[in-house]
Amino acid sequence: MRLSASQITKHFGHRAVVKKADLTINAGEVVAIFGPNGAGKTTFIKILATLLRPTSGQLEIEGTDAIADYAKVRKMLGVIIHEHLAYPTLTPFENLKFFGQIYGVENLEIRCQTLLDEVGLQQFVHEPLQIFSRGMTQRFMIARALLHQPSILLFDEPFSGLDASAKQLVLDRITQERQNGKGILITTHNTELGYHIGTRFFFMINGELEEIARQDEISEKTLVQMYEERLKAGR
Amino acid sequence: MKALRQIAALIRKDLGLQFRSKETLALIFVFSVLVVLIFAFAFGPNFPPEKSERGKLTASVLWTAFVFAGIITLNRSFLNERTHGALHGIRLTGVDASYIYLSKVVSNVIFLFLLEIVITPIALQFFDLFDGITVGVVLKLYGVLSIGTLGFCAVGVLLACMSTSTDGGESLLSVILLPLVIPIIMGGTKCTVSILVTGGLEEGFWLNMLIGSSLIYLASAYLLADAVIEE
Repeated sequence: MRLSASQITKHFGHRAVVKKADLTINAGEVVAIFGPNGAGKTTFIKILATLLRPTSGQLEIEGTDAIADYAKVRKMLGVIIHEHLAYPTLTPFENLKFFGQIYGVENLEIRCQTLLDEVGLQQFVHEPLQIFSRGMTQRFMIARALLHQPSILLFDEPFSGLDASAKQLVLDRITQERQNGKGILITTHNTELGYHIGTRFFFMINGELEEIARQDEISEKTLVQMYEERLKAGR
Repeated sequence: MKALRQIAALIRKDLGLQFRSKETLALIFVFSVLVVLIFAFAFGPNFPPEKSERGKLTASVLWTAFVFAGIITLNRSFLNERTHGALHGIRLTGVDASYIYLSKVVSNVIFLFLLEIVITPIALQFFDLFDGITVGVVLKLYGVLSIGTLGFCAVGVLLACMSTSTDGGESLLSVILLPLVIPIIMGGTKCTVSILVTGGLEEGFWLNMLIGSSLIYLASAYLLADAVIEE
């Protein structure tokens, strides 16, 4: 098991944003969490990424207590959230090179160049990130998340704001990384894309995480129906 | 070795960002020159004939300029980290928070010290203190300024990290930082006056206060860095 979260709860003031969430991510699977805006998906993924401390609950990553020993587990994570996690005035190459130096990536310049080629940014290697469109930034974020070859990928809304070719690139990359044995979590409100890429499905509505089914146990139509019913019911 | 490699990469990045952003560079340079000019116009053109009076005036002008330029620099330095979540990006590498803190202190000290190297001769020229300045005096003067800058940045980096995560952080930093750095400003100003007037450090008390408070701030802030950066 790559990641295990148990009874994770997060309060902001009196408001519970995540309520006793249980989740495991195994090697070679893609866990897809579907939920509307404001459901608590981003907060939950930030907790799993050790960027936020939960109010209560346990989190283990590769057998290590990730709440107590967060510095040790962070290198195992590749994260995409709504922020760039990078410097807008630096170019993608400079950003990757800087983060690669901190991670201690070997053959760094070749690795950076290869990743930027793979995500289709080879023509923009020397342009600052601040001029990038949403789609180009998302491509950079993928390269940034994969730079140090982490064993777990946590992608928050990886398809939002992307055109068809960029979506396909993200889908292909997730599939490739799953085949490489990585444990992957994506959050999305796009049930169609999530169904095709996911191997296990969850709904998160009003901070409550509910496991639905494995992909081989449910059709896309049923999944969409269930999701719409849950949204209408408000949970 | 790993720690040194990480700290060196963080310092290179910080300095690169500071120098690339011409705004900060221009802002603090113009601001510091303006402070010198305003005081020069207010007290000139006929400055007091006593060197001791001119020394006191120049020391006040220099420390006023450097303290406020320092606040601008610290704020800008952390805004770079906050704007697009770059600090989260660094945290995700698993690097020790104390390395992030140390690199910020070093890069801000270097950046401000370069400003001091440029602004100090301008102030000495305006306040008619260039006569009798020897290499030894210059070294002592820059020595005192660098110790003061270290103490200022030691506490300033930690507070800037906290203040930039709040609304109105830029003004908040001045309010919370200035009372804390009073011992550094007092020690630094008195030492600067002594060097400019006599060419040496006559009273050890002020130098001890400057060095002591700078080291205490550096040690305390280093110990608190993890809690502040992680929260």
